[in-house]
Amino acid sequence: MTEPTVSPPPARDLCGTMLVHRRMLNESMSYRSQRAVIENRALQYEIGRLSSARRGPVVIPVVVHVVAGRDHPEQNIDDEQVHSQITVLNQDFRAANPDVSKVPDVWRDLVADTQIEFRLATRDPNGEPTDGIVRVVTDRPGFDHRDGVKSSRTGGADPWPSDRYLNMWVCQLAGSLLGYATFPGQPPHLDGVVIGHSFFGTTGTAAAPGNPFNRGRTTTHEIGHWLNLFHIWGDDDGACSSDDKVADTPNQADANTGMPTFPHVTCANGPNGDMFMNYMDYTDDAGMFMFTQGQLARMNACLEGARASFLAAMPEAEAEAVRADGSRHADAGEARGVPDGEVERLLHDSERLTTEALHDIRAALNTVAGYSRW
Amino acid sequence: MSGEPPDVVGAWLHSHEEDTETAAVYRPADHPFRPSRRPRRGLEFRADGTFTDLRPGPDDRPREVPGRWRDEGGGRLRITFPAGDGAPSDLSVISCADGVLMIAK
Ligand SMILES: [Zn+2]
Repeated sequence: MTEPTVSPPPARDLCGTMLVHRRMLNESMSYRSQRAVIENRALQYEIGRLSSARRGPVVIPVVVHVVAGRDHPEQNIDDEQVHSQITVLNQDFRAANPDVSKVPDVWRDLVADTQIEFRLATRDPNGEPTDGIVRVVTDRPGFDHRDGVKSSRTGGADPWPSDRYLNMWVCQLAGSLLGYATFPGQPPHLDGVVIGHSFFGTTGTAAAPGNPFNRGRTTTHEIGHWLNLFHIWGDDDGACSSDDKVADTPNQADANTGMPTFPHVTCANGPNGDMFMNYMDYTDDAGMFMFTQGQLARMNACLEGARASFLAAMPEAEAEAVRADGSRHADAGEARGVPDGEVERLLHDSERLTTEALHDIRAALNTVAGYSRW
Repeated sequence: MSGEPPDVVGAWLHSHEEDTETAAVYRPADHPFRPSRRPRRGLEFRADGTFTDLRPGPDDRPREVPGRWRDEGGGRLRITFPAGDGAPSDLSVISCADGVLMIAK
């Protein structure tokens, strides 16, 4: 059968459409080349050719942008709700969540303490003291998946530098969306996670009766993506053809939702079946409670590659703040979690990735400029 | 079906909870849907003939695939995509009224 003919749109529209298409193509080419570098590194870790150099926990400074509608005070979630989310993250990523005990025996050895911690920023980008929570009042009743919440020009909040902070935007999301993420390699001004306020943390608007997304796991899942984890079923629309590029998570057909019972066998993955209690499946919050060692290898590849700035260029102010808090990270070196010799190498890698990204962006801009003259 | 073709112009999201044996049920994007961890499939028909397919993406947001749509009469809609973004497909509209779009499975 041949491609059906489509009557051509007016010439003016065609030109505009092609411009947009060309821009998207260039963006996607730049993104794709970045992704290739990132995936190559992940593979090196996965097969054991590279291994993590960091020791001790890394602390990721977080800024939470609470973007609330002018006429919707409930969207302006309180500090307690924000803090409850940080608590969840520090449990889930350290395998210190109470429900980790529910992991089936067959997978208990795979449970990973990722040694990644999260703390609300104590210094803003200018070095001024902050509580790490930015509050913005917007005229928009809510936001969709198109990144509008990430810019003040579109009624949202501008990000803090994404090489020093994990940006989290909390707002009213449309279309029953819980949240969405960016993988490493996206443009810096879009980098971070967006979470619907009713699914953020465990108190306040997340504590509404009957809410199955009330344990802060949406944010755990989205940060999994931010650290380069894929969905455990491989995003292949129910097929068994592709997996999540992690060997210790069984190949499974499609997303699991709700509260499945063990075992749930698909893709000939019996007798144990799908690892549906993994944070990177789509079960209810109460149904997900583990990352695996293989997923940790991917996260480490990301932290020591595309996101090496968090290890290597941890702002001195932040490190001091850790000391002032009297937490267990006694000095900046330990807070970085990487021996000094490794810092050079990580910085070098980070610089190379940035240079490649700039080169791609420049090439894309040139092409677009060429098109607009045409 | 007779008379006017169904006016499907607008943005629709899959209300999979309401699906029947034979029909997939879509509602306007601003419908107060129940929260869903699995992103809802979306269809956007615009009057100028452009179309956006919203497919669940790997980062939990719908992945937008632009294409074109054409009313072929009798409730049949033809959807086409630029090369590489998917084969053309036909949608058979069972009904479109009162904010509910029903498409044959
Ligand atoms: Zn996801």
